[in-house]
Amino acid sequence: MKLPLVLTKRGWKVLDLNWLYARYPVREFMQRHMTGYYAPRNFNFWYFFGSLSLLALLNQIITGIWLTMEYTPTGTEAFASIQHIMRDVRYGWLLRFMHTTGASLFFVVVYLHMYRGLIYGSYRAPRELLWLIGMAIYLTLLLEAFTGYVLPWGQMSFWGASVITSFASAIPWVGKYLVIWLRGDFNVSGVTLHRFFALHVALVPLILLGFVFLHLVALHYVGSNNPTGIDTKHDKPTAETIPFHPYYTVKDLIGVVVFLLVFSTIIFFAPKMGGFFLENNNFIPANPMQTPEHIAPVWYMTPFYAILRAVPNKFLGLITMASAIGLMFILPWLDRSKVRSIRYKGYLSKIAITIFVICFTGLGYLGIQSVSPLRTTLAEIFSVGYFAFFLLMPFYTRYEKTTEPPEFFT
Amino acid sequence: MEEVDLKRRCFLRRATTAAGGIGIAATAVPFVEYWLPSVDTEAAAAPISVDLSPLQPKQQLTVSWRGQPVWIIRRTQEMLDDLPKLNNQLSDPNSLEDQQPTYAKNIYRAIQPEFFVAVGVCTHLGCIPTYRPDVGGISPDWLGGFYCPCHGSRYDLSGRVYKNVPAPLNLKIPRYMYTSAHEITIGADKEGMEGA
Amino acid sequence: MKHFWFCLLMFFSISAFALTEEITLSHANVNIHDTASIKRGAKYFATICIACHTLIYMRYDPIAIEAGITYEKMPINITKWPNNVKPPDLSLETEVHSPDWVYTYLHSFYVDKSTATGFNNLIFPDTAMPDMLASFQGTQTLAGDIIQSEGSYGHTLEWYDVVELQQQGSKTPDEFDQMTLDIVNFLNYAAEPFAVKQEQLGWWVLGYLLILLVLVVLMKRAYWKGERA
Repeated sequence: MKLPLVLTKRGWKVLDLNWLYARYPVREFMQRHMTGYYAPRNFNFWYFFGSLSLLALLNQIITGIWLTMEYTPTGTEAFASIQHIMRDVRYGWLLRFMHTTGASLFFVVVYLHMYRGLIYGSYRAPRELLWLIGMAIYLTLLLEAFTGYVLPWGQMSFWGASVITSFASAIPWVGKYLVIWLRGDFNVSGVTLHRFFALHVALVPLILLGFVFLHLVALHYVGSNNPTGIDTKHDKPTAETIPFHPYYTVKDLIGVVVFLLVFSTIIFFAPKMGGFFLENNNFIPANPMQTPEHIAPVWYMTPFYAILRAVPNKFLGLITMASAIGLMFILPWLDRSKVRSIRYKGYLSKIAITIFVICFTGLGYLGIQSVSPLRTTLAEIFSVGYFAFFLLMPFYTRYEKTTEPPEFFT
Repeated sequence: MEEVDLKRRCFLRRATTAAGGIGIAATAVPFVEYWLPSVDTEAAAAPISVDLSPLQPKQQLTVSWRGQPVWIIRRTQEMLDDLPKLNNQLSDPNSLEDQQPTYAKNIYRAIQPEFFVAVGVCTHLGCIPTYRPDVGGISPDWLGGFYCPCHGSRYDLSGRVYKNVPAPLNLKIPRYMYTSAHEITIGADKEGMEGA
Repeated sequence: MKHFWFCLLMFFSISAFALTEEITLSHANVNIHDTASIKRGAKYFATICIACHTLIYMRYDPIAIEAGITYEKMPINITKWPNNVKPPDLSLETEVHSPDWVYTYLHSFYVDKSTATGFNNLIFPDTAMPDMLASFQGTQTLAGDIIQSEGSYGHTLEWYDVVELQQQGSKTPDEFDQMTLDIVNFLNYAAEPFAVKQEQLGWWVLGYLLILLVLVVLMKRAYWKGERA
């Protein structure tokens, strides 16, 4: 029987790594995906956000599991159990804030990561599938955030759940039944809360982890893009690439520490972020008999909420909102440019993406505010800009004048 | 291309790893402390007060403390006189093992011999033994004590465990003290609360 | 011209004082480190507020217990309330409304014969809460002639521009300010008892991370030395 013990010149050594290496492809994995995965050497600021997304995910999982140890997922006890965590459990307040801040920062990081994909054409062939899996992660993350926000069972938890589950009732013919099936009750109640807990803690995280794995596999199979959009080889060393480990592992550490600095500043000094990360109304226990004056989803969902509200028809509003997300999926097929990266695209693309960013952030802002005629008009204008970015893309990318990317970029 | 300074790399790698290690250890602290009993759990684990006056001779009173049964038995003089007779049948007749506070380290395993206070949990695998004061009940030479139905362990009326039974130790005596002639507090004594 | 608009604003303010946007909240100098103030506030709560308001999440809090705020004394099981309005639990009041809101609210009661309690409040119109602090602050009425009240010109409208003291209570205005600040400090503590620890730990964490940042930047440069990015 071979044991992981080996006699070396200095004596017996336990944990002989060669014993492990002969039984598990550790070294092959390191070679294939770290030291032997060659990434373009010109990664810039925008390339930190992939690894930061992984860090955010890890944070949510660990702090989340710890929270489930003291949280009670019933209508009568949920709110009180959160207060129990905040006050009676040692460092409970810290873990809770790590989880809520982590959720918002997860979206900040993911949006910046998506933006990188947008500007450098990381969704173009052969990375269409990578982009699709990324979009699947995004949707799953939205679902995870939504089910998670219901769990404290405050006023916003309850009414947010009520509003969003009622979208299902807009679907023709089956809508009425679908919404009851979704809620498990005739109105949002402790039943809904309890099943959202199961989704949030078990099912959706597993789906998320599955997609993240697929995302990384898809990336490594085709290799990373870079700010110039020019192809590089990822499986052998060239002048344009460097091994991911140690160069990018070391560089990503800087990103991690900066992220932790931002994370810690918020957790310890401003976890509510003026009501954006933890909304004031959610400090009132859920009351089905009284709607708060102003319901808004958490900031990361507000752009789509604003689009929904801009359309005066319930069903059409839902369709419009769904299309807003749906268009992102087909981005790889809308972009007809000769080049990948915004750096070499024409001025039309540059204007378009600027307008897109303005519209997206504008919609995000409007989604938080209460409704007014002026704001609805603005939301309508921004929505048009948002949709135009996608729908006109096959045209402006095809016909604009692009510049020739350089031969080598080092 | 300038030469790679391996020594510098190595030094910084070690320094950063050390600093990072400190950080990870420090970050682990809240996660570990989180598992300690919370404030409300500690409140529920607080010492309890028991009034002994309703107890009749030979009667057993069981109270719940920290989720466990605690027995208080009012022993008769006969029961107390029988105790020394069993010494050579017991594993630990002088209570040398750490199963009781110092004031219970005597043949009566109690502050006052008349009232026996013990945690009613068998030291084998945790069942609750039955109270068998009936002389001759378990066997012809049974002088009274406790019998555990799960695996047959036997204890005398001071909770001292018999030889040749599965249970290895005498029954545990919790910290307790008299707050008046007929009232005790279980779970704390003058030196403090019962710890982990 | 500016004065005209200001007066017009004042005029509408009186007739529409139900609009709380009109009144700028006064700033409460909350200090999480002022334990003495917090403890005084706890005592006020234990003697004045606990008659109607619960603080259910403060059950095991040492400062609350020391001040005499115990679970047994809270009106938890009372079901019948005047006007069928149950006074809210105040454990998280300063999170729902800001400390400034609570501070201004406590200052803004005035006599109003038309309500059930005989009082009304500028910040929370038609509140079912009576003026529990009347014996301290005194009684106030709506100011008859706002335009001429001192100090009202040149700043945004605050509560003291809209009401005037008819009869002073046991505390001078400054003492009453301190009393309400104590109460607000306590309620702020009640909402976040971990605040001091949170801040202290924060400084340590940031300090450590800054040191770590220096190290990782140096390490990155050492590894990338000579490599063209």
